[in-house]
Amino acid sequence: MSFVEVLGATVMGIGVALSLIAAWGLLSFPTALARMHAAGKPASLGLSLTGLGAGLAAESVSLTVLGAMLAFFMFLTAPISAHMLGRAAYQAGQAPNLHHDDLAGVTIPVDVAPQPGERSISGWHLIPLVIIWVVLWRDAGVGVWIGGLLAGLFVEVIRRTGRPNGTFSPGAMVVFLVRYSGMIVASNARVAWEVISPGNQIREAIVAVPLRTDSLRVALLVSNAITHTPGTLTVELTEDPLVVYVHLLHFKSVAAARDDVARLEELVCRALNEPVPV
Amino acid sequence: MTTFITVIQVLLGFGAGLLILRAWKGPDLVDRIVALDLVLLMLAGGLAAEAARTGSQFYIAAVIVVALIAFAGTILVARFVEWRDVP
Repeated sequence: MSFVEVLGATVMGIGVALSLIAAWGLLSFPTALARMHAAGKPASLGLSLTGLGAGLAAESVSLTVLGAMLAFFMFLTAPISAHMLGRAAYQAGQAPNLHHDDLAGVTIPVDVAPQPGERSISGWHLIPLVIIWVVLWRDAGVGVWIGGLLAGLFVEVIRRTGRPNGTFSPGAMVVFLVRYSGMIVASNARVAWEVISPGNQIREAIVAVPLRTDSLRVALLVSNAITHTPGTLTVELTEDPLVVYVHLLHFKSVAAARDDVARLEELVCRALNEPVPV
Repeated sequence: MTTFITVIQVLLGFGAGLLILRAWKGPDLVDRIVALDLVLLMLAGGLAAEAARTGSQFYIAAVIVVALIAFAGTILVARFVEWRDVP
């Protein structure tokens, strides 16, 4: 067995262990929202690692690319479904035993119309789309590239609503991603421990955290990042003023929860070249 | 390696069994859909492992399709749950 094979098998093993922990947590946690903490994060990280590990273990480039694509895809979609389901669970009254609830009595409009804004076709969107297209075809012929370009242009053109794109700062983005990966590992370990240790220290709460920035991009990335770190889940995000409502699995105090989000917000602001709030 | 992959698939199947138990128990529609979403992710993991065993390219598309269906289905039901009490 080569080194790459052993590495792949190890990564796959970790991925499967995380998936099993997610399944066990889903079965043993007491409330719907608590179960969502166990479900979303360890499971999506688990599948990403299983896919990546499978590619490495087979020593196949195309399979490893698939694993990386799977990880990227899970990274994009997991917070969306967790956020929507969390909100639906709260509205369905599936959130009993909250130690603190800032969302009680707050009326949230069910749907907010997207704000019109101009959109230009951006290479940052087009290039990954074309690459994914070519990888999926597994054929790098000229026709495939042209087809990918046309399909990518089509997607870009129909995506007309929303705000114009801003810039981001690569160095600060790396800092954000590294610190953030550390947070993901630490909090995954915490939720995993919560699942496998007997008894529980679950103290659920929903805390409203006003954001100090006025940038929608920052708010979006912050609320996704909150959902990605197990133990915290964004259940609602309001505009004007920007407030995220965070569901916590291990609630200590309102101030501690707000501090955590404020630190995340600062990192994201630097990464996205937005003015850092003071 | 082949044995290892079989063990992984059996473990994933066991996990999927636990999840189906949760989908059975509910109590709410939200619990069921989260559980079934994860069942599909387990299936995708098992397919990725199968791809590693056989080295076949066939499973690549299958993994992506299964993961996509899991996501789309979850979003769809979440929307439904939000609107189900609105007359």
